[in-house]
Amino acid sequence: MAEAWWAVARSEEVTSAGPINVDIADQPIVLWRDHQGAVRALEDRCPHRRTPLSLGCVLGNGMIQCGYHGWTYDGATGHLKDIPNLKSEVKFPRLYRAIPFGVAESGGFVRVCLDAAAPAPAPVADRLPLSGTVNVALEHEHYIAALFDDPSLVVNIRGVRFTPYLLAELAEQNGKLVLERSCQWAGFHWPSPFSSDFPITLRIASDPVTGECDLLLRDDSFHPLLSATLAPVPAARGVTQVRWRANLESNRPGMRAKLLGAGAPLTVHSAIDGAALRVLKPSASIHAATLRNEIGNRSASISAALETGEGDHA
Amino acid sequence: MLDVQDTVSTDSYVDPITADPSEFAAKVNAWVPHDIVLKDAWFPLAHSFAVVKKAARRAIYSQPYFLWREGSAAVAAEFHPADGLTGTKSAYSDAAGRYPVIEKYGYVWCWFGDPANAAPEHIPSLPYLPEDGGLPLHMLGTVRFDCTAPLSLENLIDLTHADFLHADVVGDEKMDKETVEVFHDSESITMVRTCVNKSVAPIMKIFGGVKADVQQVRQVIRIYLRSHAAIAYGRFSPGDNVQLFHPCVPETRDRTRLDYAMNTSNVKKSNLFRYMMPKASYKVSRQDSYMTSPQSPRYMNPEKRKDLHSPLDEAGQKYRVLMLALAERQARGDFAYRDNVSADCSEIIGYDGK
Repeated sequence: MAEAWWAVARSEEVTSAGPINVDIADQPIVLWRDHQGAVRALEDRCPHRRTPLSLGCVLGNGMIQCGYHGWTYDGATGHLKDIPNLKSEVKFPRLYRAIPFGVAESGGFVRVCLDAAAPAPAPVADRLPLSGTVNVALEHEHYIAALFDDPSLVVNIRGVRFTPYLLAELAEQNGKLVLERSCQWAGFHWPSPFSSDFPITLRIASDPVTGECDLLLRDDSFHPLLSATLAPVPAARGVTQVRWRANLESNRPGMRAKLLGAGAPLTVHSAIDGAALRVLKPSASIHAATLRNEIGNRSASISAALETGEGDHA
Repeated sequence: MLDVQDTVSTDSYVDPITADPSEFAAKVNAWVPHDIVLKDAWFPLAHSFAVVKKAARRAIYSQPYFLWREGSAAVAAEFHPADGLTGTKSAYSDAAGRYPVIEKYGYVWCWFGDPANAAPEHIPSLPYLPEDGGLPLHMLGTVRFDCTAPLSLENLIDLTHADFLHADVVGDEKMDKETVEVFHDSESITMVRTCVNKSVAPIMKIFGGVKADVQQVRQVIRIYLRSHAAIAYGRFSPGDNVQLFHPCVPETRDRTRLDYAMNTSNVKKSNLFRYMMPKASYKVSRQDSYMTSPQSPRYMNPEKRKDLHSPLDEAGQKYRVLMLALAERQARGDFAYRDNVSADCSEIIGYDGK
């Protein structure tokens, strides 16, 4: 978790008008945009009296000021820069600082890494125009499992019905967990258990650590219809914060595909149907933990080999 | 009232169904069907009529199969014809990304495994399906099971489940005597169930014109292990014979596709049973899925807790052991067919061509 980059906010949610609070599991984080437009992330706790920095304000010089006693911190380093009531130019020891976190912004998401020294992730070029944020009272692991096993519990794609049938079960592809589910257009039709073919599929590619998912809805001729990114982040009290962005392709063959644009094409549910979730049989998700471990172990082996190689070289 | 006997074929291979009960039981209880992926087999991926100029997408264990026709010839490839071969391809197809294909019995069969080992003689014998296909559409259909394919076949080979789960279609457990015989070789298992004075199947009473209260029944389930394909052949007196081909295609390890063929051409054209019996699959498959769907996740990982068994489970137990034996043999690199699955099995299943 320490080295992962979590999409904790959409770009438009972070402004210089005021700080916001997010969290990664039990770590509260304050986010704001400084006077040059760079996003900053510190622990959401003033080292002075432990009050949330997110209750403070963003100053004209881009620093964040605690709302309790006015202690002021530099966003890039977390160093304490000012205690207004001291009325002096005193320099504060390096010990006087809030913990800073790594920040990266691309593709319309603000990503935070709890390790400030971690290398930045590869930037995402496209910023998908549709977006939203929901808070779901379900733990991160179960949220992703629900998405794998029955996407209808988590999202709604306008006019699309998810079937229980997969064209490709969950497997590792290029370091991600990938599956592809058969879908039908909603409405009156032959029931899915008796259907030979399905007109559309939903491909889900999920990061093994963060669970950030790329969704791709495409028809049976492989025309992309809708693409989306869902970024679930574990938050306090078992809540999962989900930021999402989506893009509806402008060229969508077929009447049903065109109707995707008649209203919101993608809805991410803020509440999960507990009755349906309780009886949902683990299926696609059942080997997710094993796959994650395999990917993690492989990454660790590669890192160790690289470190050994570097050591030998030195 | 149950007699169970087993007739073992006497070829030269080492029979995995050992006489040692404890070893047999250990294998039966080591059953994790989710982990069994058998290769070098033909799978009936589509009814012939479903393969047209536009590509249809199928899968075997998540491996993509795109099916279409070039002229009259069926083609199967890893890639969508609009995309062509891009990126890396698997070892299951040739250099052009195409799979071995054969059209037989009204199905397009695709090879899953080493293409070099694909041979026509590995297509199972299906005596009551016309080799050139051509059954009317009302005898064909697709149903799906929300479970792993071996569980679906284990369900099928133990027909006592039908007396309870499908009683409203095929009749209940009331009968005077029941006998089960089990035959097997390295590539197939055959279960023959004989019932004396069994309560008449409601579907035969309602649509088949059977007036009697009891009937004599001989039901045969023959499973071709590698292809996950089964023959379900029933002789009913009074009543008409039921001739079902039940191929379970494992689209993934937890979902099964069944493109069935119920040949009722033996039934008089004026008899509604000829048209209604193939449609019973829609009801029966959901009844099966009602049980096998919750079963499936419970067979995905090894468990220390053993299943309980009765003498009625012998066919299912042997199916487990034979499947495990094949899987173990393949894990050792032995993919050879030790028995001929394409040899006519009419005599074994008791099919007399009527």
